[in-house]
Amino acid sequence: MRLKEIQRTAHQAWSPAEHHPIHLALGTSAQQLDASFNTTAALEIFEVDFSDPSLEMQLRGSLPTSNRLHSIVWVNFGMGADGTGGRLVGGSENGTLTVYNPEVIMSSGVDAVVGQSDKHTGPIRALDFNPFQSNLLASGANDSEIYIWDLNNFSSPMTPGAKSQVGPAEDISVVSWNRQVQHILASANPSGKAVVWDLRKNEPIIKISDHSNRMHCSGMLWHPDVATQLVLASEDDRLPVIQMWDLRFATSPLKVFENHTRGILSISWSQADSELLLSSAKDNRILCWNPNTGEVIYELPTTNQWCFDVQWCPRNPALLSAASFDGRITVYSVMGGSLKAQQQSTANKISSSFDSMDPFGTGQVLPPLQVPQPTVQDTIVPPLKKPPKWVRRPVGASFAFGGKLITFENPQLPPVQSPQPVPRQVFVSQVTTETEFLQRSRELQAALQSGSFNNYCQAKIHNAKSDAEKDIWKFLLVNFEDEARVKFLRLLGFSKDELEIKRSDVATAVCDARTSGSVSPADFFSQTPKENANFQIPVSCDTNGLISQALLVGNFEGAVDLCLNDGRYAEAILLSISGGEELLKKTQQKYLSNQKNSISMVSLISSVVTQNWRDIVQSCELDNWKEALAALLTYAHPEDFARLCDTLGGRLEHERTEKRCLQACLCYICSGNIEKLVECWALHRDCSSPLGLEDLVEKVMMLRKSIERLRNSEVAVQSPILAEKLTCYAGILAAEGSLATAMDCDKYLLCVCTILDRLFHAQEEAAVGQQPSNSFNRVNVSTAKPTPAAQAPAPKAQIVPMSIGGRSVFSPPGPSVSAANLSGPALPPPSSTPGVPPTSFMPSTSFPSGPMPPSSQPGAPVPMYPGGLHNQGPANPMASGPYVPLGSGYPQGGPGAPAVKPFSAPAVPDNYTPPAPITAPVMGFPVEAPQSHNHAQVPPGAPQEPSVQLLQQLPAERVEQKEIPAEHMVLKSTFDSLVQRCQLAAGDPQTKRKLDDAVKRLAYLYDKLREQSLSHNILNGLHEISRCVASQNYQRGLEVHTQVVSSSNFSEISAFMPILKVLMTIANKLGV
Amino acid sequence: MVHDAQMDYYGTRLATCSSDRTVKIFDVKNGGQILVADLRGHEGPVWQVAWAHPMFGNILASCSYDRKVIIWKEENGAWDKMYEYCGHESSVNSVCWGPYDFGLILACGSSDGAISLLTFTGDQQWDVKKISNAHTIGCNAVSWAPAVVPGSLIDQPSGQKPNYIKRFVSGGCDNLVKLWKEEDGQWKEDQKLEAHSDWVRDVGWAPSIGLPTSTIASCSQDGRVFIWTCDDPAGNTWTAKLLHKFSDVVWHVSWSITGNILAVSGGDNKVAYTL
Repeated sequence: MRLKEIQRTAHQAWSPAEHHPIHLALGTSAQQLDASFNTTAALEIFEVDFSDPSLEMQLRGSLPTSNRLHSIVWVNFGMGADGTGGRLVGGSENGTLTVYNPEVIMSSGVDAVVGQSDKHTGPIRALDFNPFQSNLLASGANDSEIYIWDLNNFSSPMTPGAKSQVGPAEDISVVSWNRQVQHILASANPSGKAVVWDLRKNEPIIKISDHSNRMHCSGMLWHPDVATQLVLASEDDRLPVIQMWDLRFATSPLKVFENHTRGILSISWSQADSELLLSSAKDNRILCWNPNTGEVIYELPTTNQWCFDVQWCPRNPALLSAASFDGRITVYSVMGGSLKAQQQSTANKISSSFDSMDPFGTGQVLPPLQVPQPTVQDTIVPPLKKPPKWVRRPVGASFAFGGKLITFENPQLPPVQSPQPVPRQVFVSQVTTETEFLQRSRELQAALQSGSFNNYCQAKIHNAKSDAEKDIWKFLLVNFEDEARVKFLRLLGFSKDELEIKRSDVATAVCDARTSGSVSPADFFSQTPKENANFQIPVSCDTNGLISQALLVGNFEGAVDLCLNDGRYAEAILLSISGGEELLKKTQQKYLSNQKNSISMVSLISSVVTQNWRDIVQSCELDNWKEALAALLTYAHPEDFARLCDTLGGRLEHERTEKRCLQACLCYICSGNIEKLVECWALHRDCSSPLGLEDLVEKVMMLRKSIERLRNSEVAVQSPILAEKLTCYAGILAAEGSLATAMDCDKYLLCVCTILDRLFHAQEEAAVGQQPSNSFNRVNVSTAKPTPAAQAPAPKAQIVPMSIGGRSVFSPPGPSVSAANLSGPALPPPSSTPGVPPTSFMPSTSFPSGPMPPSSQPGAPVPMYPGGLHNQGPANPMASGPYVPLGSGYPQGGPGAPAVKPFSAPAVPDNYTPPAPITAPVMGFPVEAPQSHNHAQVPPGAPQEPSVQLLQQLPAERVEQKEIPAEHMVLKSTFDSLVQRCQLAAGDPQTKRKLDDAVKRLAYLYDKLREQSLSHNILNGLHEISRCVASQNYQRGLEVHTQVVSSSNFSEISAFMPILKVLMTIANKLGV
Repeated sequence: MVHDAQMDYYGTRLATCSSDRTVKIFDVKNGGQILVADLRGHEGPVWQVAWAHPMFGNILASCSYDRKVIIWKEENGAWDKMYEYCGHESSVNSVCWGPYDFGLILACGSSDGAISLLTFTGDQQWDVKKISNAHTIGCNAVSWAPAVVPGSLIDQPSGQKPNYIKRFVSGGCDNLVKLWKEEDGQWKEDQKLEAHSDWVRDVGWAPSIGLPTSTIASCSQDGRVFIWTCDDPAGNTWTAKLLHKFSDVVWHVSWSITGNILAVSGGDNKVAYTL
């Protein structure tokens, strides 16, 4: 396809490959005149700019020259690092060799000539520069003259050898440096002889000559890749061929390429792809050959003119330029394309170029040239028949889901094509960059799976880098221990035992003080009991007397008043206790209202007395958060505890400092509020890095586990921010190749994202769980009419058949598509939670009605997992159940309250006792029914059942476990009866022994059935066998047996499968 | 000679294409490989393959030196031609599916300099839009921008549907990286990024990771790999950073799913960069 064109009768030189942008230098041709008969000469440099779609090239510089040129080359000698410059070397008709600086031509034109030599005696037709040493230039002229020029030392050229060594003097038409060996040069002359020179020896080393003597050498080129091969082109119309020679057999040409009908004028071998050799000939054609096969792979759409020079562009391998005798230089692409009405502009240009001139100097302006207007039409020019090397991508790498990297490479072809197919290689590898992250996530996963939470937390405490971190892990650890509240207190620095010691110290001190005469009002309680010696009832008129009198008359109220007024609070309180509950309350109030001055201590007492903890958490100094939290831990009602903790945490968090936020985190850990923990944590910690995320997820998972342990049920957290973080986390895990872990992690979420679906499908094993219920909607783009039943591939439960009516469906997700969703089975199959309709726990937002927004879409409420994803079998009755929203009644134990025993699923320990009703240590709270631990039996949403019921039901379940599941009982009965029948029929002792053995071995099978440890496949096989046995078709039974054995894990079946075969063989023989 | 290998969305199926004119699909679960389909239909070397999002079923696009783009679809386990596009006049070098939010839309870059956009309109119909002369003397690569507007994770009010603009990047033999966007149903050149001094061999728009930055990688015949970033929400100011200069042509760039690693395939070997 033609890209650029210019009217010039000139020799051409492309800028070197390193040169950027691409330029084309044109030097006025010798021995050619255009219609202007202009004999001036010039060297012009054009920029070939392909961002300009027009055919024109931009003239960048022009230099008038005294001589016309026979040859021109652009050498990268002296080229700057920026890819500009180099040297232009022109060989003229009178033997002058001139070196130009193209940069200077393009800038000023002054002093552009940097070297000139008249060493040659005749026209210089041949020029070539050394591809290895750009300062070395070879030139060839009349009279067998060949010079090697060093551009560093231009004045004194050398010769490759003595002229006399190559016979009679002849013109040199071509010189060419070898492309592989830098000291080898070849020259050729029109008579068809080629001489190869070795510059180290300074002599010709081989001569090539065709015996036909018809070769009229117009071109010679070395093979770009093979050092010993070269091609010669013949200009002779009687032998218009290209010969390929190999110097190893230099007696006759290796190959002869015949297709041109008239003599070949020029050849050019692509340096980018040695399978592309261009030739132009007097038959007006430009052909492209594959020199390895001799096949013509392309013919350029050219004009009806001889093209005397073709050249591949060194920089852009798809381009070539052709100079034709009709005075045109054309740049073509071999990649094809559409040839648009380009003739139009060409014609105009020809016309106008004549217009402006007065070629014959007559003073008359010529009439406009009538150029026939070609019909404007788009011609599609095909590309090369065979794709060139530079478009054949040899290597590549692409990432795939799960951190996989797909790479492919194609081993280098040997230069000579081998007949064997090339071994191709595609590799799939795993890319991991976050090793620490992976390591930690694995540790977390291991802990989650093994249930060794304590060890995990302890290790974390041990390795914690900061105290804050250590604190958090300590708190998390406590959640897994009994008497969590007490331990929380201890962590906060409050210990009952220590306090006891301190208190008795104080008491002793008080006593000592007393005995020494100084009265301390410090401790009423330690003081009062001491005063049990004999006493005197004062009846005087002072306060004491009045009080005594009031008491004596039974006027408690009056006595209390007197006490209060006198500041004798202890007495007042003591009296009011005796005076009845009402009086006590009154007294308490009076006391507290009188004591406004010492707020903190009193408000604490006030709260203890009035059970009003909200005041504490709402108004305490934040510096006293520890004390506030301690108070909550000690006193707060389990129902309020979490809320109060959260309130306190909220206040701390509100401060927004990092310290406070960490303290808030501790509050949230106490309250078990995962959502707030995540939010608060994310405020100050970087959660975008994998490790930062890991930090968070570790804590969340541990907290979640501890809550689950206390609640004995799956905990679902409804938190968009957690969902986002977990999605992110899963994404990173997936990217690092930990698909299973990622999947596990995402199970906790009912993600409004597609990653779960992706993980599910990407999992290597098929049966990892149920298909995630909501991913993207599937759109049917079937070519055929949609037939829902046929089109839903079996494993994809989520396929929503729909036909696409118009484009609107495909526009960004909108309500129009949502209708399709209705038919989709959005809920997890009910079987996953037997007897529990999962819908009752699903927030209605669980299943957005429209197509899912992209996975990264935030903000949408993220409903939590109902646990429906878990594989649930009878072996694990605890795995699923009602999901109690977080935030109420956690934790259940206060100090002194019986701890909740840890549950170890699946088997419930025999000594299991239901948690005792929880009471606070000081005040009697109403007994709260403990939360049920029997989630499998509790209808979701139902009031929590008393634990008694649990006790009744659990043993029942355990007994049931020892039974073979009902659906498999048939196996036992069938096989047992078969053994019996055989035993009755069997005569010989050997068979009897075998049958006895069979009884034992079948027991293994029954055990496996009880354990439910057999795979689906095996169970199916067993049932099939049992059916065969029942119908006495033992032959078929044996066939099925073979199938099962061959398709199963040997260790799984080795205990019983062989005996089944024996049994059936015996039965078959006995005919029972 | 294998020219491309791409895993499907789930990473369980591998599609390869080759000089032998075939497209092959392998099941690569469990570390094994099972040839599940051998798609024949191209009459020249097949340069690239691209999987459509699975919400549309199992659909694969392939492009070839034979100037054709073929879209293949699996129906009941059998792969068949779904659509054949012959609108290019030269080798089709690159195909890339748009984000699924836009439906089934395929961008194809060709050596004829044009980029075609094929949109499935239902009823076996495909709408074709062509950007002529997108890259003079050839387009080598196309890559779609993620549908998520950069920064939407941070700024977007929840529930509100972001205003998606279809955008993609292309690289060509004019040494340019160009950004295109659709406005009123018409494709327009949005940006022209200049830094390479030779053919741009491949471009890759990084997946969105929620940050308010758009990132594009480009690699070139000149051995250079550039990372282009744009923090400007309007998408007008792009800055180039030279990631590396190799001694040889760089053929291919590929972002990891999370956009934190760039795989660079050069003439000699492969190098991965963590960004």
